[in-house]
Parts: sequence; C-alpha cells; structure tokens
Amino acid sequence: MARIVGGLGSPHAPAVGAAVDRHDEDSAYWKPLFDGYRPMRAWLERERPDVFILFSNDHFTSFFLDVIPSFAIGVAALHEIADEGWGKRPLPAVPGDTDLAWHLARSIVEEGFDPAVCHRLPLDHGCLSPLSALSSWTPQWPVRVIPILVNVLHFPIPTPARCFELGRAVRRAVASYPDDLKVVVLGTGGLSHQLTGERFGYINPDWDAEFLDRLEREPESLARLKHQDFIERGGTESVEVILWLCMRGALSPRVRCVHRNYYHATLTGYGQVVYEDTESAAR
Amino acid sequence: MKEAERAFANPAPGTYLLTVSLAQQGYRLSSFCRSLMSAENRAAFKADEERYLRDFGLDAAEIAMVRARDWLAMVRYGVNHFLVFRVAGTLGVGLTGAAAQMRGETLEEFKRTRRVWEER
Repeated sequence: MARIVGGLGSPHAPAVGAAVDRHDEDSAYWKPLFDGYRPMRAWLERERPDVFILFSNDHFTSFFLDVIPSFAIGVAALHEIADEGWGKRPLPAVPGDTDLAWHLARSIVEEGFDPAVCHRLPLDHGCLSPLSALSSWTPQWPVRVIPILVNVLHFPIPTPARCFELGRAVRRAVASYPDDLKVVVLGTGGLSHQLTGERFGYINPDWDAEFLDRLEREPESLARLKHQDFIERGGTESVEVILWLCMRGALSPRVRCVHRNYYHATLTGYGQVVYEDTESAAR
Repeated sequence: MKEAERAFANPAPGTYLLTVSLAQQGYRLSSFCRSLMSAENRAAFKADEERYLRDFGLDAAEIAMVRARDWLAMVRYGVNHFLVFRVAGTLGVGLTGAAAQMRGETLEEFKRTRRVWEER
C-alpha cells in the first residue's frame, strides 16, 4: 500500500533555481536559504521517497488566458522543462508516474474534485525551483513527480478550504493505491510577498511566523480564512500559501515538525518546513 | 466592468488582482508577452521593437506602455505580472527593476527599503 511519509514546504521563486544553476548556494545572500535546504535534503536521502506529489501553480507557462484550470494534474511519463522567456534551465526532463496519476485523478474525481488532466505539462519555476534545490538530477532525478497545479493568478481562484480538502482527498487516494510506494507531498511558493503595484515588495515576517505555527498545529484555522485575509496580511502573491494548505491537508492531523527555517529575502518571505506524518510514517 | 468587479480587482491602494474583465481587456497585450517565450521571437522583438509590436496588432496605447517600460500600467490594464516580467526580462530589467518602477522609485531608493540585497 502506498503511504505518505511526510510533507515539505519550500519556496518556488525563479531566483532560487537561478541560484542553483549559478552554484551560488554559499553566497552571503543565498546561504540563509540554502542552509535551510540541507536538512531537507538529508531527510529525503534518509527517507528515499518513490514519488513527490508536488503542489504548485503555473505562471502563464503551460496555460494561458485561453484555458485556466482551477486544478490540473500532470499525468505524463516525462515532464518537459519549459522555456519561460529566458531559456530552458539545463535540467533533464522530470519523470512522472502515470499509473499513480491515473489513480489520483480518478480517486479525487470520485470525491468531487474535477482537475484538468494534462498529458503535456512543461514544468516552470513553480516546480523546478524546489525540485532542483531539494535533489540532484545527475545522472537522473531520484524521484518521480506528479505535479498538481492550482490557479492562484487569475481570479476567481480556489478557496483555502477547498485546497485543504483537496489535500485530504489526495491523502485518501494515496492510501488506497495498492503498490508499496513511499510518497512525499510538497507545498510550494513564497510566504508573504507582493509582486505588483505600488505595494510591490511587501513582506510581513510576523504573519509568516504565525502562519507556520498555525500550519503545523491548527491548519483548519488557516483553511477557514478568505483570500482577502492572506492578501492583506501577506501581500497579493502570498495567496499562493493555499498550495501549502494542499500539502498540509494531505498529512496526518498531527505532524512532527523536524525542520523549519525562515529567510526574509529581498522580495519574499521564504519558508521551509519538513513535517513527518505521524500515522502512515509509523514503522 | 461593473463596480463590484472593479472593487474586487483593486481591494486596497497599490494592490491589483487579475479578474475576468481586466484579463479580457489585456488579452492582446498578454498574447504579445507570451510570444516572448520563444527565443526566435525574443530576438525579433529586440531587433526591431516597434515593428514587432505593430505586427502583433497592438493598438497605440498598448504600444506606448511597452515603449515606456511602464510595467505598472500593464498590470493595471489587465496583464498578469508574470507575463509582464517576460517583457521586462527580455529587455534586461529584472524583478527589482520592475519593483522600483511600480513603486515609483529609483532602484537605489527601492534598495534602501530592503533588508537584504543581492549584488550581481
């Protein structure tokens, strides 16, 4: 039986992937973040998951205004690397898991979620920044990846409560998969940040700390908030923390937080967490 | 656009959300931004901006926003910022440059508001 052993939270800013490509992890600017990835990589090397279920969003890369799915799942056997406008990153295509993706899609549809099913979903920084910061890809990526993308850019977007429920549906889907797989769920995106308007650059570290406290211990209280609450407290782009709620919903009600880091960078509050599942991870 | 959507899209001063009517207004300009995802198109745009914009069928007001590098105007017009950043990036303007422009500051002024700054 497949089981979720834990959940990771990571930023997904393009700058993080660019720092990886420049081997800039130890510079004064980036060290506070990449020091935060070290324990995450060590945890992954210890757990050796077979599959990542990666909650992220598209940035008008694979989707355009023509079609904007509220939820989308990538079912391809191999996910291409996208050219977002500054050239493709030098990364090999990312392996998917079509069998588990089919099972996930079918299971969550039966629970009332209706994702767009994507046979071709080139990955942009939303997936590649965390993947490349968390694992090495030579000679090949060590894990298969099923991206589940949530619209966070074009309103209306799914509610925090709906995203938390999606996570729970994904948890039940994994538990009903017959193969013996270890799965890790990833919630990605910045905490507080705003990337437009005269309020560009807004960061609220106090709110970010409260968010991480509540995400660990009382995530339902965050799932009850409105988009506007997140936008006011953390800036417009912080609304993407609904991706972290997807991750948290997929974990046991009580989690063991074995790592937490925060870096107040130039434009974004970067959070990093490792939560161990206290139910399915029991060995 | 009805008042309710306008209020939703601009919930506070300096804060803009992309909604359906705005995105419809910004559709053509957004299509131009998206076209810069291909290296050939980026090269063609840089080689002759005016011609590329005209050939794309943008109207005078839309062309003026690009010519002026007015990222804030593009956002307010109904173009998602990640699309705007493709144009800025193609023209050598990074996120901090776009941030300063949208805030109405010079890059130096913006830098002074930051806790950390990456010199590159």
